[in-house]
Amino acid sequence: MNETILGFHHVAAAYGEREILKDVTLSIREGGFVGLIGPNGTGKSTLIKCVSGLLPLKHGNITICGRENSTLKSRERAQMVAVVPQSYHVGYDFTVEDIVMMGRNPYLGFRKKEGPKDHAIVDEAMEMTNTAIFRDRCYNELSGGERQRVILARAIAQTPRIILLDEPTSALDVHHQIEVMELITKLNQEEHMTVLAVLHDINMASRFCQRMVMLQDGVVSVDGTPQEVIDRKNMESLYNMKLMIRESPLFHKPEIIPIRVMEEEKISVSCHIHVICGATEAVRLIERLDAKGYTLTAGVLNKQSEDWHICQELGIQCIEIEPFTPVTAEKQAENLNLMKDADIILVAGVPFGEGNIMNLQGLENTAGQLYIHRNILRNDHTNGKLAERISSLEKTKKITYIEDNNTFLEILEHSLKP
Amino acid sequence: MSGKKGIQMKSQDRRWTIPLSILLCIGIMYVCTVTGIASIPFQDANRILLHEFLHLDINMEGITDGSITIIRNVRLPRVVLGFLAGASLAVCGCGFQGIFKNPMADPFVLGVSSGAALGASIGIVLHLDRRLLGMNGTTLLAFAGAFLTIALVYNISKVGKKVPVATLLLSGIAVSQTLSAAMSIIMIMNKQSMDQIMFWTMGSLNGKGWEQILLVLPYSLLGILLLSTTCRELDIMLTGEETAVQLGVNVELLKKKVLFASTVITAAVISVTGIIGFVGLVVPHVVRMIAGPKHRILMPLSLVFGGTFLIICDTVARSMAVWEIPVGIITSLCGGPFFIYLLSRMKKGGGLS
Repeated sequence: MNETILGFHHVAAAYGEREILKDVTLSIREGGFVGLIGPNGTGKSTLIKCVSGLLPLKHGNITICGRENSTLKSRERAQMVAVVPQSYHVGYDFTVEDIVMMGRNPYLGFRKKEGPKDHAIVDEAMEMTNTAIFRDRCYNELSGGERQRVILARAIAQTPRIILLDEPTSALDVHHQIEVMELITKLNQEEHMTVLAVLHDINMASRFCQRMVMLQDGVVSVDGTPQEVIDRKNMESLYNMKLMIRESPLFHKPEIIPIRVMEEEKISVSCHIHVICGATEAVRLIERLDAKGYTLTAGVLNKQSEDWHICQELGIQCIEIEPFTPVTAEKQAENLNLMKDADIILVAGVPFGEGNIMNLQGLENTAGQLYIHRNILRNDHTNGKLAERISSLEKTKKITYIEDNNTFLEILEHSLKP
Repeated sequence: MSGKKGIQMKSQDRRWTIPLSILLCIGIMYVCTVTGIASIPFQDANRILLHEFLHLDINMEGITDGSITIIRNVRLPRVVLGFLAGASLAVCGCGFQGIFKNPMADPFVLGVSSGAALGASIGIVLHLDRRLLGMNGTTLLAFAGAFLTIALVYNISKVGKKVPVATLLLSGIAVSQTLSAAMSIIMIMNKQSMDQIMFWTMGSLNGKGWEQILLVLPYSLLGILLLSTTCRELDIMLTGEETAVQLGVNVELLKKKVLFASTVITAAVISVTGIIGFVGLVVPHVVRMIAGPKHRILMPLSLVFGGTFLIICDTVARSMAVWEIPVGIITSLCGGPFFIYLLSRMKKGGGLS
């Protein structure tokens, strides 16, 4: 069950002079579900072409079910490997059944016409992919998602041991993307087909694949479980952009959140900002301030809150407490200590309640300018304690109110100009 | 695509298509045999047919030998040769449109016709009337010209072991143009043979008899038989060459088979009849619109329709005017506008099939 079914040994391939694959070594075990990721032009589709015999290798070799690929006849190969391309157009009016029956071609000859067994296999493939209902319809009249299911049915009709997919979902809406991926998972688990899929969508790959292989500049750069492959360092070097990784609470798989490609304009002087937050409101602001080069601290934060996650991700020093525990006087003392040298103290637009009202204690004695997001007054769950606290603060310290985070960034930039 | 839904038949109707069209074809063959310029009464024509070909004991009183000869040695062989030529060219058209995945492909797209025409003009200019292998010099040279042209085009396009379809088409056009130019030079240098060459290139069934039929028949049968083994693979080829490879089709072998078979058929047919255009282009299209793209139905139906179409055109050609019009002109005259009509329909339907 766990033998290598598809092996690449120092594979190099080129289109004319343009070298695409330089040195790919990879072995895929029977029953695996492997996602191939990497930016455009790194040779993912080329690798699929090499397996399906469309592009001869410059170097190295590929083995399929233990046999050397270059010695296989296309007929023999098609009995073991089926390929599902990305959106696929046919210029002629074949019916769905005609197209699926083409999957039986590797088993037929001009003397061997399709028999009851072939029809049974085709019927089953269409049942599985839910395409039997439109078997007599013209393939070209179908929607993108339906077509992709028909092509999957054709691949199933080949009764292959390996199924190669080249961006099977890239032209589909999200409903059909998930539908196709679920179908492929079913093939992998119930029909025991080994799957190698080129996927653009990292989150899709992370969610469905057991193993991910990252291809970069014609070589395998990282290879492992989604947890091993999807980390910020790998992904940022792969896609050359700023992004974040977090674990999807629904699937317990890492998930990537792209942030930006163009860099933020950096500030020229140093400026320390302490952010008082603790829910979800400050995430975007903290990320942007960090990207602009401000020195940031934060507190007091409940662990596992979104604000806490972003501080962890960005390595921002913060005062933290356990989830669902109130801010204590000791923690607030630590917090005050952390912000004592801050140039600016920002109270982000978080809701205030009994648990975190302590966060505003002792701000009178801080040196930094105090900014408060007006939203806190709209999100008051303290039965008036918050308003009391603010008005008493206002007696001894100047407070600048802000309406939204962008205004705050503008004020900052303005005040820092020489 | 969707615009043609109205014409296309349901699959359960398709079973009857082939028998029905064969019946229709036989009917048309019959009508075309009994009609013509020489006024042979309908009754007499029927009696001659029954007597000569079904060997029925029929009273032949009052029928001249001339009438019998016209039916037996002029009209009937013309109808049969017309069927053979039309059927062969139409089947080749199917094959070519299949491997080229190009609706504009016809049996002449790689220059077979120019090669044959050049060969034929050399034969005509040199007055090669000596017979060899049952062919006269012109026929033989046309046959050789056709074959050599395809061999040349094939070898020009070859990249390693593969023959890319796009290169094949382009080198076909280039070679074809060059050969046509060479033929024009021959025509200019031999003004006295110009008419004869011109007539040859327009294609005609005039003056052809059983002898020519026997000459073409083995090549046509061989070629059609070979093409008929490629039906399923041609279907897959229509969905894309890469897909065909991935579905286990030996694409290069398929191309070779189709090229070889079509060249054999086309060369044999046109070396006898001259260049008869449009049959190989239009007939497969029309049939595809009626019966769908599957070659298992497309090929036999094209065979029947191609043959029938050419018989009708030839009957028009020989009955219309005082002078006999070359049938190639009639096919183009009917086929061209019809093709334009098809194109405009497809434009409305949103695509080419």
